[in-house]
Amino acid sequence: MIYNNEVCKRRKAKFNSIKNHPYFGFVILTLLMLAVQFARVLGVDVPITILRAFGLTMIYIIIALGFSILLGYAGLASLGTAGFVGVGTYIIGYMTNSLGTSIFLILLITIVGAIIIGAIVGFISLRIEGMYLAIITLGLSQILNEVFKNATVFTNGTNGLNLDGIVIFNKLIQINHNAIFVVLAVFMLFIMILTLNIMKSPTGRALLAMRNSESAAQAMGISIFKYRMLAFIVATVYALLGGVFYMSYISFSIPTTWSLAFSLNILAAVIVGGSQSIYGIVLGTFMIFGLNLAVLNQIQFFVDNPAISIVFNGALIIVVIIYYPGGLIRLVNTTVYKLKTKIKLWKKRRKEYIYGSDSE
Amino acid sequence: MVPILSNIKAFLYSRQIKKIQTNLEFNKNYLPIKVNYYEDQLKQKSEFLDLKIKHKLLPYEIKAGVSSEFLKQTYELQLQKIEEKYYWKKRALKQIIKRKNIDEKISLDKLNKDKNNELDDIKRKYYINTPNKGAELFYNNQAKILQDKYGSKITKIDTKYNDLIRSLKMKVENRINNYQTRYEVYKTKLANLNISSKFSLDEGVLLKVDNLSMHFGGLKAVDKLTFEVKKGEVFGLIGPNGAGKTTVFNCITRFYKPTDGHIYFQNKLNEVVHLNDIVVHNVIREGIVRTFQNVEMIWELNILENLLIAAHTTYRSGFFGHLFNSRLLRQEEVVIRKKAEKILRDLDLIQYTYAYPFGLPYGILKKIELARTLMVNPKLIILDEPAAGLNEAETRVLEDTIRKIRKEYDTTIFLVEHDMGLVMNICDTVCAISFGQKLAIGTPKEIQSSKIVQEAYLGGE
Repeated sequence: MIYNNEVCKRRKAKFNSIKNHPYFGFVILTLLMLAVQFARVLGVDVPITILRAFGLTMIYIIIALGFSILLGYAGLASLGTAGFVGVGTYIIGYMTNSLGTSIFLILLITIVGAIIIGAIVGFISLRIEGMYLAIITLGLSQILNEVFKNATVFTNGTNGLNLDGIVIFNKLIQINHNAIFVVLAVFMLFIMILTLNIMKSPTGRALLAMRNSESAAQAMGISIFKYRMLAFIVATVYALLGGVFYMSYISFSIPTTWSLAFSLNILAAVIVGGSQSIYGIVLGTFMIFGLNLAVLNQIQFFVDNPAISIVFNGALIIVVIIYYPGGLIRLVNTTVYKLKTKIKLWKKRRKEYIYGSDSE
Repeated sequence: MVPILSNIKAFLYSRQIKKIQTNLEFNKNYLPIKVNYYEDQLKQKSEFLDLKIKHKLLPYEIKAGVSSEFLKQTYELQLQKIEEKYYWKKRALKQIIKRKNIDEKISLDKLNKDKNNELDDIKRKYYINTPNKGAELFYNNQAKILQDKYGSKITKIDTKYNDLIRSLKMKVENRINNYQTRYEVYKTKLANLNISSKFSLDEGVLLKVDNLSMHFGGLKAVDKLTFEVKKGEVFGLIGPNGAGKTTVFNCITRFYKPTDGHIYFQNKLNEVVHLNDIVVHNVIREGIVRTFQNVEMIWELNILENLLIAAHTTYRSGFFGHLFNSRLLRQEEVVIRKKAEKILRDLDLIQYTYAYPFGLPYGILKKIELARTLMVNPKLIILDEPAAGLNEAETRVLEDTIRKIRKEYDTTIFLVEHDMGLVMNICDTVCAISFGQKLAIGTPKEIQSSKIVQEAYLGGE
């Protein structure tokens, strides 16, 4: 009897330790994504548009996670995301089509390039803050966009660049969307775990300290220079990797995609979801991009009037920002909390109904 | 050429020594924590296996008529459970009777009958036979078999954990010895360079402000100020509003670059550094920590994490360690968390460990700022108006806390304060300044009776 109780306790503790593990939710999310893909492979009729919507959303989640480190943790506003993602797409596009570089080398080059770009922008950010930084990065993004339009040798200009395939070990392989979806889901899991590690580590705390009070951060030995650079480098690496995945999944990149609207959408996704929570960012990205791609595009009315879907999306953003300034995740958290307290109350009442109150 | 080279060498050596110091501290703190953890695990596992043996022996025990403590416990637990179950059932029944017109007596009788049946079942199950030689032999045999089966497991676990503990101890002690020898080596190397004679302080002096001037345009906030802070004392800097007290602080902690003058400080390695050459975020590494006039909390982190932020310079793991949640980082987090908890307990803040600073009383926030300064074993704590905005009672608590810190953490405290009661109570030396110039320096009594100070505060004539 005593032994059985002990075994039960141990089993429960083990189960709880798995359930409460910080990565548990990420794994579930990834498995859900993979389930959609496998359902299609196994012959269940999942519309290709929905599958594409999920794939794209995962790419946007990766980009938004980098942005959340920048905005939610370091407190730096940037509108240059679109330009950086564009650079990522053209790196893989040009290198595969013209040079036939292996994908692994491309990933390495992308990361190195991202570190260089991030360091440059980070260096700029040391002197400029707030709105001005946003405007400067916006200008940078516009410059990059003009480069995309005019450097036709690398980007094929306004006609857009097609990706021929992916080179793995000197062999050009036709793009298999299903395989890339799986790789993308696993990569998203990886990025989520890394981002959580950053957020919970001394680095994340240092970034938050810097955002809250620069003088306190400096007094505690946190170098503003180092951590601003770091935040920008992380955000840029994520954005460029997102670009590489975008190109390999969609295999088409055109300068008009990488305009201000894209940057603003990423910003909106991070703010609407909740800039400091990974689940919040997943939610926000689904709302800004996924909802449009997966739900609204399925309804005939919105397909006929694409402008209305944008209005609908905008209205949603306004409502969320007015009523839930902490982001959707705050709404979710408060509702969960309220529900839990309600359930507790209900259980208590139920107990009183069945057993009578304790005082009797 | 040669002096430059030796300067570079000295810089590298002192950096190495600082690193070794943090390593040493980490290893010394880490060892007992990990050993404790292993011992806990060992205890839990062996107890569980013991329990398993006892549990498996139960039926044989009953048959053999050997009644052990464990059997009694199990039996009583069973009875207790049934009692509890029927207690609730009875309450539920009473409620039903209240609502519907059911015959009370019949249903209660039925319930009691059920209960007695179940109790009888348990009693039958645990009925201990009269001692029986054959069954006892069988029991002993079984006990032996089980002991063999699980006893070997227990010894295995025992040896495993003991080996782990021993190897860990050896490893860490080796490491500590290694670091200690390296520490000595670097120290002698540094001493052989013979460049520490560059700056010097008198015996027992920790901080020296020499001819410090700070001009904001035409305004002379601090004008040729000179004073010394001795080791282990509580030094107070007082003066009317706008006298330049906070400016002095900001110059010492490098938030401002002084127009003229020098600040010397004897750092953690007992070498004299010229603070003017140090970047603002490296001041803490030399052993100077400060608080702020209006509390500068990190509002988005809880109190424990606020303390961890203060220990930022003591982390040895780098960005990639943080990115991949490396083993070193996890070990460090455990050690530093333990330290933070100890400090919180010392200052009676342990109940706020996981609270967020938003909405806490101002006195508590001030105390948390004090706790934050202790995370890096500072040599000098600089307090910028610790009693500002506190009421009488809170000020008294703060006074006690400052005394306690000075006694237990072996530091020097340098404070700016308007509350004369606090200054006169806790300070050993007080320096009075006005319009950036020194008026008087001495013991609190001397300052109190000084005519110049009285004039500055109350106005002359």
